[in-house]
Amino acid sequence: MKKITLLITLCLLAAGAARAAGDAAWDKNRPEFKYFQEQDLYSEDSWQELAPEARNEALEKAEEPALERHDAELADYAAINRKWGLQEADQQVRRLNAEKIKAVYLWVGNKEGHELNHKVYVVKAMLAKASTEGINDADAQALTPYMLPGAIKDMRSMKAAAEMAQKQQAGVKAQGPGSQSTAKLDKFAAGTHGKMNAGKLSNLYTGSKATGDADVMLAGGAPKAGAKLPGSTAPNTTTAKTVKYTAPAALDEAGRTKSTAWTSDAYGYTITANGETKTYRDAAKAKEAIRQLPNGSVSKIILYGHGSPGMQTVGPESYDAADTAALMKGKMAKDGVIQFAGCNTASIGGATLNPAVGLSMITRRLLYFSLPYFGDRSSGTPAAEAKEQWEKGWNADLARDTSAGMKGAIVCGYRTFGLVPGRLPGLTKLMGSQEATTPGYVAGKKACYQDGKEVPVP
Amino acid sequence: MTDLKYIIETLLLLAVPLVPVAAGLILRRKFPAAAEGATPATGAQKAGRLAGNILFWGGLAGILFMVVVVLNFKGKI
Repeated sequence: MKKITLLITLCLLAAGAARAAGDAAWDKNRPEFKYFQEQDLYSEDSWQELAPEARNEALEKAEEPALERHDAELADYAAINRKWGLQEADQQVRRLNAEKIKAVYLWVGNKEGHELNHKVYVVKAMLAKASTEGINDADAQALTPYMLPGAIKDMRSMKAAAEMAQKQQAGVKAQGPGSQSTAKLDKFAAGTHGKMNAGKLSNLYTGSKATGDADVMLAGGAPKAGAKLPGSTAPNTTTAKTVKYTAPAALDEAGRTKSTAWTSDAYGYTITANGETKTYRDAAKAKEAIRQLPNGSVSKIILYGHGSPGMQTVGPESYDAADTAALMKGKMAKDGVIQFAGCNTASIGGATLNPAVGLSMITRRLLYFSLPYFGDRSSGTPAAEAKEQWEKGWNADLARDTSAGMKGAIVCGYRTFGLVPGRLPGLTKLMGSQEATTPGYVAGKKACYQDGKEVPVP
Repeated sequence: MTDLKYIIETLLLLAVPLVPVAAGLILRRKFPAAAEGATPATGAQKAGRLAGNILFWGGLAGILFMVVVVLNFKGKI
């Protein structure tokens, strides 16, 4: 009996020793071993040379601080791994040095570490660029996964702010971009509507006569109450007609002087509500005007500026699907139209025999996939990661995504780059359209969506 | 491999606008404008020359369009 008890005891002891030895094997995923690496206490080789007792002792000592470091790093990473505001971005790119990023690689994971490294690299470069030469649409798109939309907007205006501050320091009276405008804006916009409504030119892309502004009438040319809304079979019977509101002064009432620039700085909001059309360049005024409009009263709004897949700018403002839905929440009339007048604000769509559309598709792929992909590769991003990021972005459909969040409204965008004659250098001066708020004629292929489904262009 | 695929894709995409220009150039050489005093061109020759002209100048216009778009993208226009 004694022999049996002794045998069992020996077996148990052997099993315990084996278990202890097994537990003490090098495991790079255990926090204790990450701690050893970080503190440079042991490497895998030096660990093998340790006696089992010394291993257990080292593990015991490291357990508490390792778990603390582990939890702290995970919490820190969770705080970092979201979109940043401008101020936060500035602080984070200063804080996240090589050592900090190395800690993310170690404690959180290689993939996460690499993503953070890339994020810091992109944001740092764009912050520097924003205050010197300014950021363009591609830059804004590159920032989209990392920064809040508001922060990207702010970055777009950083260069102007820096220049203005410099001018003020130099004693020059600073003038904002909105300080020069066109007194003939009304005339221009109406003029382009008439002169540039060239259906034949539309055939460049689509063969259709849709011009993007066919149903926009400037103040004075408003449809009568009860008239049919564009794209609607029902008369304009929004209950809001009797509700009075005071919108901020629209641009056409401002009577400011005309810009004389050779190149275009045209952008703006054109809002048609209750049979009246007003245009704005100032985003704050436009937003205030929209806010004061009764619900269900907007029959058409044109957001005019630069577009890129998934995003549209209007001057310093930029809009993605969520921003646009928030801007127009509850304000759109049934079958009211939100027109993104910017390039590539819809996906490329199906195959085409139209060479102009084909060229536009090729250019879009080159600009929004090939260029950024190879840019990423040259900065060390793995091919799979760069591919994933840019493949999903280059053909984004802002119009469709917006329509999915705007029940009942028709949201239109351009499948192609849109050529606006009034923006051509020189011609813009000739036409006085430097600061136009409506695009007039746009040569581009339109696509419209309602509740996420494609519908005919109204 | 992924890079190679995208390099080839990019080269092909960049080459596309040059195809009609090259085709137009070949047609224009094959059907030169009739010299003074030479035998008048037949209908087929005229059509060939016209097709060449359309492809050549249309192709150039396409390249110009892409240049304009890129300049616009870069914020120069």
